[in-house]
Amino acid sequence: MDETQLWWLLPLILSLLIGVICPATGSLLITQRRILLANLMAHSVLPGLVIALAIGIDPTVGGLISGLLGALVAERLNQRFKGREESSMNTVLAGFTALGVLLVPLLQTRVDLETILFGDLLAASGSDLTRTLVATFALALLLITRYQDLVFIGVDPDGAYAAKRPVTQIRFIAIVITALVIISAITAVGIILVIALLCAPVLMHIEKSTSLKQLIVKSAATGLALTSGGMMLAIAVDLPPGPVIGSLCMVALILKKA
Amino acid sequence: MSALANNEGLRASRVCFSYGDRQIIDNITLELKPGTLTALVGPNGAGKSTLLHLLQGRLQRDSGHVECNSSITVMPQRASIDWTFPITVNEMVRLGGRNHSHQPGGLLAKQLLRRVGMERLAHRRLSDLSGGQQQRVLLARALMQQTGVILLDEPCSAIDPPTREHLLSVMREQADAGQTLLISSHDWGSALDSYDKVLVLDTKLLADGTPSEVREKLSDMTCMMGSHCCG
Repeated sequence: MDETQLWWLLPLILSLLIGVICPATGSLLITQRRILLANLMAHSVLPGLVIALAIGIDPTVGGLISGLLGALVAERLNQRFKGREESSMNTVLAGFTALGVLLVPLLQTRVDLETILFGDLLAASGSDLTRTLVATFALALLLITRYQDLVFIGVDPDGAYAAKRPVTQIRFIAIVITALVIISAITAVGIILVIALLCAPVLMHIEKSTSLKQLIVKSAATGLALTSGGMMLAIAVDLPPGPVIGSLCMVALILKKA
Repeated sequence: MSALANNEGLRASRVCFSYGDRQIIDNITLELKPGTLTALVGPNGAGKSTLLHLLQGRLQRDSGHVECNSSITVMPQRASIDWTFPITVNEMVRLGGRNHSHQPGGLLAKQLLRRVGMERLAHRRLSDLSGGQQQRVLLARALMQQTGVILLDEPCSAIDPPTREHLLSVMREQADAGQTLLISSHDWGSALDSYDKVLVLDTKLLADGTPSEVREKLSDMTCMMGSHCCG
């Protein structure tokens, strides 16, 4: 078969992987009540991506550093504004997004901002696939080696500390993996819409799941259906896949029976 | 329960803790003998939960010493648990296992669930339980750790009297088996007779003795314990 006839293969593989790892990561974030932090990080990667592209290094590195920096700034502000964490985190989210948008003209970077914000699955490259495979491997490793700790931290964080579980280290690793997953998902859905894939599939199953494992599997399967369905629909009606997937996530959540 | 064979209880001397300018725990000295059931009572904000965490080592003391030759388990207040987390009763109890990363103790978890009267609900989701059932699960999880000393933070709050009696009977069995239990509680009056010893805390230790000794000592301190004393 001619290589040009397989243009859809890479985007499809990428969308399937993203459809699995985003809800799996979302399962951890939602059960540990850290989804707002994930959304903040999704927006915080923007300045790092722009700087990385401006100076010609791998955008993953720039995005990762920038995302972690956003989480760190939010953590500091949360300590200062205890009980008002949502407000301070949303301020950091907006601040980092604004900074990223400002850096594009300031650094005179050739960046398609729309692609970063809303994704462009059909423009996926081999490096996007590598990035996603690294994130998938890191997430799988965390789940396999630290599953019980993740459950303990989710259900009883104070108890996990008291039982001398490595809570801080695991949370940090989870944050790094979240940043990797978000950066991987940029091509598919962009930094604005990734939150829909992190949340919607998980919310559809969290009430009925009897274990974190079950929640991850069910959410990943739903995420897979949403991204593959969204991509096919986007190709069929000639619309950008990211917004189609984001819209599908919301519609699926609305239609889900209570 | 091998951990209980060498259990020497717990001794704390001159323990102090402050938060900012506020003294929360002031010069507390106490001894918990092995195989005893002790109540820690005091008004809201007296520092009961803080003292339990200081004894366990979760909080850093400003000064003072705590001696204990065995591990210490804390059974937390119900409010510190995320009851909406997707987990079954059985899995929750097994989290208490010492080396829980290898999921040991399925048989022990089953035995403990039977003892607290939750065996039939072992596969039910945690979020589907009533308040009393949740307290039973937390007690089973604390017992799962099989430590010499257990500190229980209000295990009998907001539960009906039969459930309270049941939980206290399980705790009494543990004490009879050699475990040392300190229970923060809002019990007062004749309810204190369930315990071997009572500590009354309000930043300082106001009384330390048998239930009757403590009642006698505090009889002139009207309303010190709020509604529990006045009621």
